[in-house]
Amino acid sequence: MRKTKEDPELDDFGRFSEPALLILISLAEEPKHGYSMTEDIEMIAGVRLGPGTLYGAIARLESRGLIEPLKSEDRRNPYRLTGLGERALRARLDSMMTVVRAGQRRLASA
Amino acid sequence: MKWLLWLYPAQWRKRYGEEFAAVLADQPASLGMAFDVFSGAIDAHLHPQIYYSQSKSNEGDTMTNEMLQRCAVGGPKPSKRDKDVASMFMIGSALVMALAYLVLTKIYRTRPAVEAFGYASFPVISLIYTQTAYLRKRPVVTQILVAAAGIAAMYLFFFGVCVIASKL
Repeated sequence: MRKTKEDPELDDFGRFSEPALLILISLAEEPKHGYSMTEDIEMIAGVRLGPGTLYGAIARLESRGLIEPLKSEDRRNPYRLTGLGERALRARLDSMMTVVRAGQRRLASA
Repeated sequence: MKWLLWLYPAQWRKRYGEEFAAVLADQPASLGMAFDVFSGAIDAHLHPQIYYSQSKSNEGDTMTNEMLQRCAVGGPKPSKRDKDVASMFMIGSALVMALAYLVLTKIYRTRPAVEAFGYASFPVISLIYTQTAYLRKRPVVTQILVAAAGIAAMYLFFFGVCVIASKL
């Protein structure tokens, strides 16, 4: 995947890169807690993240300032996208779109 | 399934424990989920994001600090004291293993298990130094797991080699 200058934040996530990207996409709509994210991600991507994977990705995203927790009385803590997270998500989606367009162009001309 | 939470480091449980337990409670228990939680716990011990997050909030938001903190997560740079302690451990373990080898050869002579102990002792001693120096700031469970797995892997390798060699 070609990387742009703005999206190095998701590079060192290892096996958590894809779950982290899905979490950012889920939070782009509105703040959500862990279980809502799991449900939403299953709906949009057809993948159900296990709790270990979900919180491995959440911890990485939070430690890098891409998402932040909101205050809650409930033990289900909601998270929201930060400005940095939004920029990282836009940059990653842009780079993915570039690859998708190139693939489609090549398929069309094949 | 809530007991699986105890596999995670204490600081991780303090930060995410309650909400993690809520997510666990909302999902049907399965072998796949248990495996996911187990591998998540190993990751939390090996890549403690909590410490990264806390140290980040205490420092200025400069590029140098950012880089230093990221390096610290990958592997903390040991201080002179860390290295001295690790050296003492290495010398101590070398003496203990040499003594154990002498006693074992006296009792069991040159059986493959004893031979393997002798060969494995060299890499194990350097492993002990590395573990002691670089894992000092990690949770005790992580230190024990990584050291035990490393030593066991080395011993089994040399044991296998010695068994094969004894049959040739």
